[in-house]
Amino acid sequence: MIRRYLGLLAVLAAVRAAGRLAKYAAVALVVIAAAPVSLVATGAVTVAWLRGWPPRRLYRAALWCLPMVGVWLAATAITTRSWRQVAAAPYLAWLASWHQAAAGSLVRAAVTIAPAAIPAGLAVGGLAWSRRIYTMETHSGGRFPTAPATFQARQWRRQVRTAKARIAAPGSVPLLWHNGAVVAGAVIRAVGHPGRDLAMIPYQRLRSHQVIIGTTGTGKTTLLLRLWAGFLARGLQLHAAGTGQRPLLVVLDCKGGADSRRIADRVRRVLRDAGARSTAVWPDEASLSLWDLPPGQLTSTLIDMVEHGTGAAAYYTDVMEAIVTLAVGAPAGPPAGAADFLSRLDIGWLSMAYSGAGHEEDAALLRSAARHITDIALRYRTLLRRLGSGLDGPGSYADADAWYCILEGTADVPVAEAQARALVDLLAHYAAHGPGREILLAVDEFSAVSRRLPIWQLYERARSLGLAVQVSAQSWQGLAPGDDDRYRIAATADGGIWLLRTPHPEPVTALAGNRPGMDTSRRLRGNPRWSHEGSSRPRETPVADPALIRTLGVGQAGYIYRGGVTYIQVKRLLAAPAALANPAVPVRARQAGQEPAASQQEPSAGLAAAPAGPPADGAKHPAPTPASAAAAALLDEVFGPEPG
Amino acid sequence: MTVSREERSAAGRVTERDIAALLFVADMYAVQLDQLAAMLGTSETRAGAIALDWRRSGYAESARIGPGRPWVWLTRAGLAACGLPYTATSPALSRLAHLRAVVSVRLAFEAAPGYAAAGAFWRGERRLRARAGGRVGLREHIPDAEVHWPDGSPVAVAGECWAIEAELTRKTVARTAAIMREILARTGDYGCLAAEARIPGAAARHARVVYLCSPAARPTVARARTTLGAAAGRVEIRALPDGAELARAAASRPVPSRPSPSRDSPAPQVPR
Repeated sequence: MIRRYLGLLAVLAAVRAAGRLAKYAAVALVVIAAAPVSLVATGAVTVAWLRGWPPRRLYRAALWCLPMVGVWLAATAITTRSWRQVAAAPYLAWLASWHQAAAGSLVRAAVTIAPAAIPAGLAVGGLAWSRRIYTMETHSGGRFPTAPATFQARQWRRQVRTAKARIAAPGSVPLLWHNGAVVAGAVIRAVGHPGRDLAMIPYQRLRSHQVIIGTTGTGKTTLLLRLWAGFLARGLQLHAAGTGQRPLLVVLDCKGGADSRRIADRVRRVLRDAGARSTAVWPDEASLSLWDLPPGQLTSTLIDMVEHGTGAAAYYTDVMEAIVTLAVGAPAGPPAGAADFLSRLDIGWLSMAYSGAGHEEDAALLRSAARHITDIALRYRTLLRRLGSGLDGPGSYADADAWYCILEGTADVPVAEAQARALVDLLAHYAAHGPGREILLAVDEFSAVSRRLPIWQLYERARSLGLAVQVSAQSWQGLAPGDDDRYRIAATADGGIWLLRTPHPEPVTALAGNRPGMDTSRRLRGNPRWSHEGSSRPRETPVADPALIRTLGVGQAGYIYRGGVTYIQVKRLLAAPAALANPAVPVRARQAGQEPAASQQEPSAGLAAAPAGPPADGAKHPAPTPASAAAAALLDEVFGPEPG
Repeated sequence: MTVSREERSAAGRVTERDIAALLFVADMYAVQLDQLAAMLGTSETRAGAIALDWRRSGYAESARIGPGRPWVWLTRAGLAACGLPYTATSPALSRLAHLRAVVSVRLAFEAAPGYAAAGAFWRGERRLRARAGGRVGLREHIPDAEVHWPDGSPVAVAGECWAIEAELTRKTVARTAAIMREILARTGDYGCLAAEARIPGAAARHARVVYLCSPAARPTVARARTTLGAAAGRVEIRALPDGAELARAAASRPVPSRPSPSRDSPAPQVPR
């Protein structure tokens, strides 16, 4: 009995083995019979594996081969004049290729079967590659338990390598695509977004709020520069075509220091290449006039620029507001500058100004607040001295295509806060009453100076004025002081969120949501043998993987938008070389109402606008030095005199 | 040229003048036979024979690859023999006209008595690029050459370094002016660290930039200079010497030849 049972087991095992062998033999037979297709498919999968391509790329390649197939079939139809021959063309080509190969003519065989084998091979390769990725994503493939994780890590490395190679090719990543979209760089991987080779951001998204988070040294400035240049280049294109208003970029760099100056120089050169006629660096090279604000707004801004207390100090705030209102709204008109304003904070001046008929109430108010005027004047004198001349004009946002405003948020927080408040008020006024421009306000580390102007308030104001705001910070915590504000900012970033490497990306990646996935468990019967038993269950996986965000390299960013994420290798914009210092009159020396000074304009802008022939102002070459005279004589001797 | 073929063969090695000529050719990428003859101070027939010797030695290659006379350039063996770290390559057809123009400018300089008297030396683009190695930025402009006037030489420009630009075609005014600014603003040598290339306040590397222009390019260069303001005084514009243009050279225009060397004149100075 036992012998019979053992015999039965042996027979069953033999049958199973034979079945498996028959299956493998059938597969091998098909692979060999369809050798041309198999070879193309193998090559396609190998290339896709090595370069980290998604399967759709192989499908796309197969589709691009269809014209070739069409031409081939058309040629067959013309030569044979038989539809049956056309229908049988792939089979006949296959048969002919085998005969040619058997006769030793491998090249002819390859040429004969190529029109049919290449698209079919690419499609089969795409299917095989897709199957491989699927098994790895669902953890149901691989010889070893660690295979899926290793596969993903290797694919990421290969995708990064491919993206880096793409951006390294000269001219492969233009700033603007032909449809006007801003090209940020090469796509490494896309989840929930259309898979393209290049990451294209429609211009309209740059006209919406965006958030950028990334620690120092991750390529945040490079990304921002690209977005800014793209915004200006596209905006200027639309403006030139008559379909858009002139763009204006205002950058508030709230860190300050030498680093900000270096970035400002880089920004200027990059924007010049993008078409910006002029980039003003505030307060170093350009100024704005706070005193251009209408009296009501000016009063409000001046009050907000000074630190206030609460409780008993609120009384003092009221007094200060009353005095400032009297000084600004004097019958003689609003102050023209800081000196004018300070001169008005004087009991004698105010008494004189409000001594006329019809100002009895103001005069009474003045008398009751008279003993505080000296203190108020002292506070404003100190504040305006510390603010410097950057807000004392002349100048307005209309003077340049881009403004790079440096606020010393690290070294002098109270001053930077006051400056930020004034700059935003000026911009809001310009947006509301200016000539109408498409404005992008980019604020870097604004939370450092947002005590007196909460960032959500900036957001709301910007929204109401049609301004796009781009907030960048080094971390989630740096976005705003409180979690509510942070979530409010991130949730209203309808232009998308850019995540560079940051140690705590979870709050932002959570905004991208989850996507359905599958977890498969298999029974391991000894490494690397798997049983056929196992189970799968659906699970939710985050669209933007926080672990991946933490490991992003320099210049890599994840762009989260509408429940999808695209990982991008950002293409660095090369700035034009530094120019010589322009000897023109400094901006500060301009008179109000005149055209922007040459120093405020880019040197190249000046060149572009230069008339033909000698300069109109009659600029002459400087008087020759002995050395230059000798050089000229030497050159005259060698090459003859300078041609007229 | 006074070196006979017999002398060369008998010596079994290249002569001093051969070495100077090989270095000249190496520095200029490639030269046309008439320019080689002018450099050697001999006839084209003699220069052709010398080039043939170089070919036989494996030091040079020559071919008629463009209009006019055949071109001569150094092979890998020739460059190795000269100890120059350049990549051996045949001249690109698109650059032939420019190469000829630059060689003409160098020959014109070297034919000038003041140049030889000052002991000035030529530092070509190939040498500058080799010095910069892989550190030449995509946007960085390297002049066609530098002319160095050694300190203490009996000329008023002693100690100066000039950038040389041969302009055959018209660029835009903006581009030309940007190049002028870049050259004039440069403070560091080519191949220096990027941070040292332009140090505000430091002395400029190039005292002046000399543009040798074709008639077509001259107006653009002149307009670009006018946009430089005070720096315009450091830009000199002259016409290219006769025979510098490839099309005209094909019609056998003369090339300024270097003065015949005398026993007293120093050997051409080749900087490293």
